[in-house]
Amino acid sequence: MFLSASEAKTLAERILSRSSAHACVVRIDGGEDNSLRFARGSATTNLTASQLRLRISSHIGGRIGSVTTTRIDDDALTAAVQRSEELAAMLPIDPDYTPPLGPQTFEATNRYEAQTSGLKLDSLAAQARQAIDESARLEVEAFGCANSALRFEALATSAGLFAYEPRSEIDLSVTARNRADAWSGWAGAHDYRPARLDARNVGQRACEKAAWSAEPIDLEPGLYTVILEPEATAELALWLLGAMDARAAEEGRSYFSKPGGGTLIGENLFDPKFTIRIDPNDKLAPEGAFDHEGLPHRKRAFIEGGVARTLRRSRVWAQKTQAEPVPYGHNFIVDGGATTREEMIRSTKRGVLITRLWYTNMVEPKSLLLTGLTRDGNFLVENGRIVAPVRNMRFNQRLGALFSRLTAIGPTERTWRAAGDGAPAAPPIMVDAFNFSSRSSGI
Amino acid sequence: MLDRALLADLAELTLTTAKRAGATYADIRLGETRREFSFARDARLENFDERLTEGFGFRVLIDGAWGFYGAQRLDSESLRVGALRALDNARAMRSIQKQPIELEQLPAHEAEWIMPMAKDPFAVDASRKADLLLAICASARDAGADFCTASLSIAREERFFANSFGARIAQTRTRLAPSFTAVAIDRAAGRVATRDSLTPARGAGWEYLENAGLIEEASQAGAQARAKLTAKPVTPGDCDLVIDPSNLWLTIHETVGHSTELDRALGWEANFAGTSFVKPHMLNELRFGSELMTIVADRSQPGGLSTIGYDDDGAPADSAEFPIVENGVFRNFQMALGQAHLIGLPASNGCAYADSPTAFPIQRMPNISLRPNPEECSLDDLFADVENGVYVVGAGSWSIDQQRDNFQFGGQLFYEIKNGKRGELLRDVAYQGRTTQFWSALDGLGDAATYHLDGTFTCGKAEPVQLAPVSHGAPPARFRNIRVLNTSNDG
Repeated sequence: MFLSASEAKTLAERILSRSSAHACVVRIDGGEDNSLRFARGSATTNLTASQLRLRISSHIGGRIGSVTTTRIDDDALTAAVQRSEELAAMLPIDPDYTPPLGPQTFEATNRYEAQTSGLKLDSLAAQARQAIDESARLEVEAFGCANSALRFEALATSAGLFAYEPRSEIDLSVTARNRADAWSGWAGAHDYRPARLDARNVGQRACEKAAWSAEPIDLEPGLYTVILEPEATAELALWLLGAMDARAAEEGRSYFSKPGGGTLIGENLFDPKFTIRIDPNDKLAPEGAFDHEGLPHRKRAFIEGGVARTLRRSRVWAQKTQAEPVPYGHNFIVDGGATTREEMIRSTKRGVLITRLWYTNMVEPKSLLLTGLTRDGNFLVENGRIVAPVRNMRFNQRLGALFSRLTAIGPTERTWRAAGDGAPAAPPIMVDAFNFSSRSSGI
Repeated sequence: MLDRALLADLAELTLTTAKRAGATYADIRLGETRREFSFARDARLENFDERLTEGFGFRVLIDGAWGFYGAQRLDSESLRVGALRALDNARAMRSIQKQPIELEQLPAHEAEWIMPMAKDPFAVDASRKADLLLAICASARDAGADFCTASLSIAREERFFANSFGARIAQTRTRLAPSFTAVAIDRAAGRVATRDSLTPARGAGWEYLENAGLIEEASQAGAQARAKLTAKPVTPGDCDLVIDPSNLWLTIHETVGHSTELDRALGWEANFAGTSFVKPHMLNELRFGSELMTIVADRSQPGGLSTIGYDDDGAPADSAEFPIVENGVFRNFQMALGQAHLIGLPASNGCAYADSPTAFPIQRMPNISLRPNPEECSLDDLFADVENGVYVVGAGSWSIDQQRDNFQFGGQLFYEIKNGKRGELLRDVAYQGRTTQFWSALDGLGDAATYHLDGTFTCGKAEPVQLAPVSHGAPPARFRNIRVLNTSNDG
């Protein structure tokens, strides 16, 4: 159930007016999601799901009890408020208690277009149809998922904060497999503005990658020059950004901990071409207006020109360390360069072009050793051109080393989404000595 | 407790709407999920949240196309609108329904099933739960950890299912997942070691936690995290592994559980969760592993996270009692409604689940477990025949390709095995393999006395992603010549 700002504020006030706690925080989110999936060019599952969820946190004497409910009738709201207060009274005093935020100033964000509310399953089916038509034209099979959503988040506190942001989203991803079921390609797109999503283009890119009839070759594991397309770059950068936590660094648990104590903030850790930032006003990947605590997002670099600039810092840890809180960024931008993907291919003597990654997981957080596999579109590049599909490989790669040796970096573009967490923008990058540790037969 | 009569009336409303619209099949899931999540870090309770989500999901089949609508509401107007929206959604699929959805008839059961337990965990005071988490953290830190986090997740699903075949089924199940991580740091050396809890998630009441020994385990974990900092680095290369069930459950889950899902083999998950190296033509033909390997599905193991009376298509639990791999040979896929006929079989084997009423039900795992050795065999017996190897305990970092062939798993504790005996603690260990090669290297299994049931609350699959609870039981098992990595050198 989608609520406007005034509807969300009215509902929040109904809850806050019932509170007898010392302080109260109300978080409301919801909306309507539409989704359809198809396989071998035919519909499989679909849904429309309407959601509305309230989280009430009551603060009593340095204790916090929280109740989340989907019921919004008067009796249910009263019961939820009372239960959160009962819980607070039962729980131990929080030694690092942080009171709720008061009024804040937020950036005006632009992630909402009312037209998305008209994007129901008939519109998504039309988009899927375009991708399926591309698969017929290129004589491959198409599998995919199309989604649209209209969502909102609101946060209100008894200290006077009210934050609200609506968001419209549409995305399409297509996996194409050749008719021998022996090779695959993938493409995806995500946008806050429905008109900007080009379904035929997504289908075409996935199907062209899959439309190879040659048997994929097996490469020997080892160190390779790789060209990572933007989706793969974004997934790796997301892991790096996820590790940039002030508490972990200051407690000595992180890659960003300095041996003996302190952090590596201000240190030149990565390639000078490497910058990760967030910006609520960015045109490609705008960050939201506020985080889950109500902290406003501001334009901010986490890594700038290879130098670690900022670590995210929760309000609790900020209070304890007497520093400014820094909210977690989901929609980040990896700044790009001028070398196109095609120029990277032309300059490669022997290497692998990678479309996307799969099942990445941290093996060793302290050294940022990540494992994972390539998926849906590896190609061997020799003497400046793509010569053959390459069967998938597992990699074991330290992210610090990877982002320290960017041979080339291309123009930044929007990605589909990195591991379902935000919608970042990233460039293709070219990296030497990428460590493939074993072969996979998975295609 | 929800009002069953009200749920039944609401269900009839939607099923009648579907029938009048000419639907060939319809079903509905209504109910609520109650959750509780608490989290402590060191001496501080960071979060205590009770969550109640109610709702319905209505699925209808018209002209061979599905339509689904779900909402977090339980009132007649929402269901009336929802039924019409589901019908609209089915009609919207016609333009891309190249292959019509076909369903088999399932028996129509009228039943109620409630998971047995002694103590309702939701009836236990929040203060007691907070005290438990803080005591776990204190215990780990007293024993050598620098930091400790602890959490407790509790969930109860209460559902009413009705379909146009005539099924009317009410079910309630409860589960718990305790978890902690002890962290030890050597600042001078810049080293960090962690030890995650080994106490598994279970379908159970509070009595399970009372007897789980979490505070004692936290003390061991604190000391072991400290010891890992100075443990001997593993020598990489091929060696024999004895894998504890606290680690092997995840390997079973990823290599056998997911690879034998029929929707993956059919390509229905190709865009996200992936396909499978196991193909329909391999049924009863594929040599999956050694003769010792028998892996069975069930929905009846006490404590199992997938233990339930009926699946989310209304298929009874006994239909989900089948071998997946028998003496090393692949015998059965896991299937939900509308899949069996695609491989020439008559009916679903009871493997459907929707993670909330507002989610479309899909094929998900029942409990999937490795049968223990019928002959007497202890853990020490497995070590006895190993000249040079590693004993792996607890689940760590995991990754597997989308067709479930190449995998890499870490763990929590690793011990050297030398000349038939368990030796000193090792560090920086991960093992890699290819699924059928790995299972073909199985040459030793513990007996029933060594069997252990483990599992997870959060197996992810589908788009939008759904999280399913599932358990996997296993004895300790021995595998020959498996590739071991030293993670401090690799990469």
